[in-house]
Amino acid sequence: MRTSLFITCYNDTLFPETGRAVVRLLERLGVEVEFRPGQTCCGQMHANTGFRGEAFSQAKRLVRLYADAEAVVIPSSSCVAMIRDQYSGLFEELGNDALRKEFASLLPRVYELSEFLIDKLGVEDVGAYFPHRVTYHASCHGLRALHLGERPFRLLNKVRGLDFVPLANLDRCCGFGGTFSVKNGEVSSAMLTVKLEDVLVTGAEFCTALDNSCLMHLGGAMHRQYAGMKTIHMAQILASTEDQPAEVLG
Amino acid sequence: MSAASEHEVIDHPILDPALAPPFPVAALPLLRNSQLRKNVAHAIDVIQAKRARLVAEKRDWQTLRAAAAAIKEHVLENLGVYLEQFEARCTAAGGTVHWARDAADARRIILELLRKEKADEVIKIKTMTSAEIQLNPYLESNGVRAYETDLAEIILQLGGGEPSHIVVPALHVNRSQVREIFARRMGIENLSDEPKALTAAARNYLRQKFLSVPTAISGANFLIAETGSVAIVESEGNGRMCLTLPRTMITLAGIEKVLPRFADLEVMLQLLARSATGERMNPYTSLWTGVTPGDGPQRFHIVLLDNGRSSILARKTERQTLRCIRCAACINTCPVYRQTGGHAYGSVYPGPIGAILTPQLEQMRHAQSLPYASSLCGACYEVCPVKINIPEVLLELRARVTDDERHQVSRFFDPIYLGLRVANVIFSRAWLFYAAQRMGRIGLRFFTQKDGWIHSLPSVGAKWTQTRDLRGLPRQTFHGWWADRQRRMK
Amino acid sequence: MSPVTSSRQQVLGRNWAAMRNPAATAEEAAEGYARLERDYVMRGDMTAKACQELFVERLREYDAEVVECAPEELGATIAAQLQSSGRHTFVAPPGLSAAWLVPVAWQISGFEWNIDHDLPMDEIDKAEGVVTACFCAVADSGTIVLHHSATEGRRVITLLPDWHLCVVRASQIVETLPEYFDRCKQPPALVTWISGPSATADIEMTRIKGVHGPRFLQVILVRDEC
Repeated sequence: MRTSLFITCYNDTLFPETGRAVVRLLERLGVEVEFRPGQTCCGQMHANTGFRGEAFSQAKRLVRLYADAEAVVIPSSSCVAMIRDQYSGLFEELGNDALRKEFASLLPRVYELSEFLIDKLGVEDVGAYFPHRVTYHASCHGLRALHLGERPFRLLNKVRGLDFVPLANLDRCCGFGGTFSVKNGEVSSAMLTVKLEDVLVTGAEFCTALDNSCLMHLGGAMHRQYAGMKTIHMAQILASTEDQPAEVLG
Repeated sequence: MSAASEHEVIDHPILDPALAPPFPVAALPLLRNSQLRKNVAHAIDVIQAKRARLVAEKRDWQTLRAAAAAIKEHVLENLGVYLEQFEARCTAAGGTVHWARDAADARRIILELLRKEKADEVIKIKTMTSAEIQLNPYLESNGVRAYETDLAEIILQLGGGEPSHIVVPALHVNRSQVREIFARRMGIENLSDEPKALTAAARNYLRQKFLSVPTAISGANFLIAETGSVAIVESEGNGRMCLTLPRTMITLAGIEKVLPRFADLEVMLQLLARSATGERMNPYTSLWTGVTPGDGPQRFHIVLLDNGRSSILARKTERQTLRCIRCAACINTCPVYRQTGGHAYGSVYPGPIGAILTPQLEQMRHAQSLPYASSLCGACYEVCPVKINIPEVLLELRARVTDDERHQVSRFFDPIYLGLRVANVIFSRAWLFYAAQRMGRIGLRFFTQKDGWIHSLPSVGAKWTQTRDLRGLPRQTFHGWWADRQRRMK
Repeated sequence: MSPVTSSRQQVLGRNWAAMRNPAATAEEAAEGYARLERDYVMRGDMTAKACQELFVERLREYDAEVVECAPEELGATIAAQLQSSGRHTFVAPPGLSAAWLVPVAWQISGFEWNIDHDLPMDEIDKAEGVVTACFCAVADSGTIVLHHSATEGRRVITLLPDWHLCVVRASQIVETLPEYFDRCKQPPALVTWISGPSATADIEMTRIKGVHGPRFLQVILVRDEC
């Protein structure tokens, strides 16, 4: 089994430890991981702010880059949602037949991380060890666009030593919303405060999710407020073993 | 913002999209209003809990949604046919059908009708459409007093307030505020703030009006093309009073309210009350057809309003906006609305539906900040009974606003615009991306504290760092680590 | 061109032009309408008895009082309800058969009956209660449907008095709302669907009953069972 990793622009720059964890995890499960150096961005930031033409050019690059990949795994629900929900509209509007065909062929081969593990590899127990109290935050893209459902819970459930605490109001948005976090910074912060209340009351050491975007927002406030909790991408929990505990930065 | 101007914005919200401040600015003083926050959260939590219970017990909820969406889409596909059919049947049943191009046209038509009736007062059933066209102030300045009869609308009319929700417009007002308004404006001494007493005060205040004012104005929840009928959904009974007792009824309805057949109500009525108030059915729903001799108003006029709706119909992605049945389920579930309340949206239509409807009714000339007043969480789409994909429409409207901006000089002063244009170039080549990452790391070193975190950033970044830290850029990118690893493995 | 015509032409013109198929005809619309998928529940699967019980439960949930009786007991039951209401002036629709207000009821002194043969408004306003039949009842939502026929009365008589006694026959009860629509051979000109006394939650979401319209709803469920 061979898979190509699309690390995403922001993980590459801000959360390389998540990428390292994905590689370690997948190789441990016997998957050969390749990484195509031409990758940059899926175009989500531009598409969601109204820059369609720009998003299209990035989307085109991505589709061409992975045309012959066996599978593409992406540790970011929002980027997968971009590809699944918005690419075909962009290609309808701005692309041509050839591009649309290429995309149609690629689409079934694109996986969010938990989808890859559960649906493609058929594993729930990835042999992880993470002896900490953890709560899980469901990103809106993972919840409503990808319908990840039980997958993250099934994976966390099999992590040895992990003490899971559920999060109240799980389906309520944390307030990140991409450029919304700065275009409507105050409203975003108000939503963050409400979310943080629910997260902190779990008493967990770590808040995890399948998206570093939400975690950056939650973790940034936790750090500012000396909240005594950290954020960590689920890939890092799943990659963690007794021999090689998770990289926890910051 | 100074305390005085904050107070002003709270007490005198501007709900005219042409004049209202942009959403982020309008939201600011509201975010500081703890009472508002509490009132809004309480109200929407109550409705949401009731709605959730009823939706869970309704085994065909999803198929009802699908059918409602399909019926509405079908109507929009054939709107001309159904409007003409409605007009013919309503006229045959004794009603008079008028057509209004826009708000000004509608106001003029209604005033003329009132003048013909020699009416200097009217009683009104709550209709957001009349607020959309700013009817009451226009009538007032032309010598006609409009008396609102819906409890929430009375609270707002007597208190000089503005609606902040389309189903419970006064949800931002608490009982002691209502008590003060009623005591002062109704001239009641020793009025308690118990909701029961306040409601009784309203009942007494209105009884005489219902029995004496001969002209009423209503909106419409649904228009039935096959019969020319109008349906009104309500809880209090003030609607029944206004549509039964007066001599003349004037109904104002957006053209998108039409349904093909009477039986289509079997779908809509099952969805509306559950979505709007968390009830299996609201207390009173009334339907009338033209004029019935001996029963109800003997003169019936209906004003069919365009006011930008046909321009929405023309657009492939946006036309689904017109499916809306004004249930407010999207508003109740919206995490943004929860924090700001309705006045931040600068329109009589707040929340997710407001964010897509208002700019479009304004032909995208105003309210351009509204499509951005959303984190795109998608909760609204999940609850919409007619399956409007609100996030999809928001994205489409953002693209239109951006395309507009591309031609404005102001774009050179918009850091987000410039940043995204540059980012697009950066993302076009891997080497440019890598170079930008290196430059970014070097540049941000200046802002990175000893703990490895950034606590303060300039410009747009300040909006982030006002409440959040940002971890400093790691020394090595993922792709750098991978390249090293490849080299090591060889 | 008068302003009215030009507005009409403009609005309709814009709409026709904006439609995906500006040449759509009424026939095509009808065809499209017939093809619409309706996978929702049309008929309930409750027995008639369970349905009646559900209806009564829903009525009681919104504090309507319900009594049941056999068809031959209707007159007496109406009389009993009127007596226990503590009210004396009643209005009734013209078609309500005298058999209902059987001798038992008529003979109880102290009641004043106004049959609505175009009663003036102030007479109706003075009435303390009203007695009517109904067209149909929907169990799922506890809804009583009035088509304002001669046995149900003009809309004003079930609006102004504070107490409404409605006679519902078991055979009129359906489980689901689509079943009610199915019973309408043709669309009625006037309908009032009543699902509880008037209510508002506009002040702090506190539900207050009885704003305008009858505050008291009494139902007699006649077990006619056919």
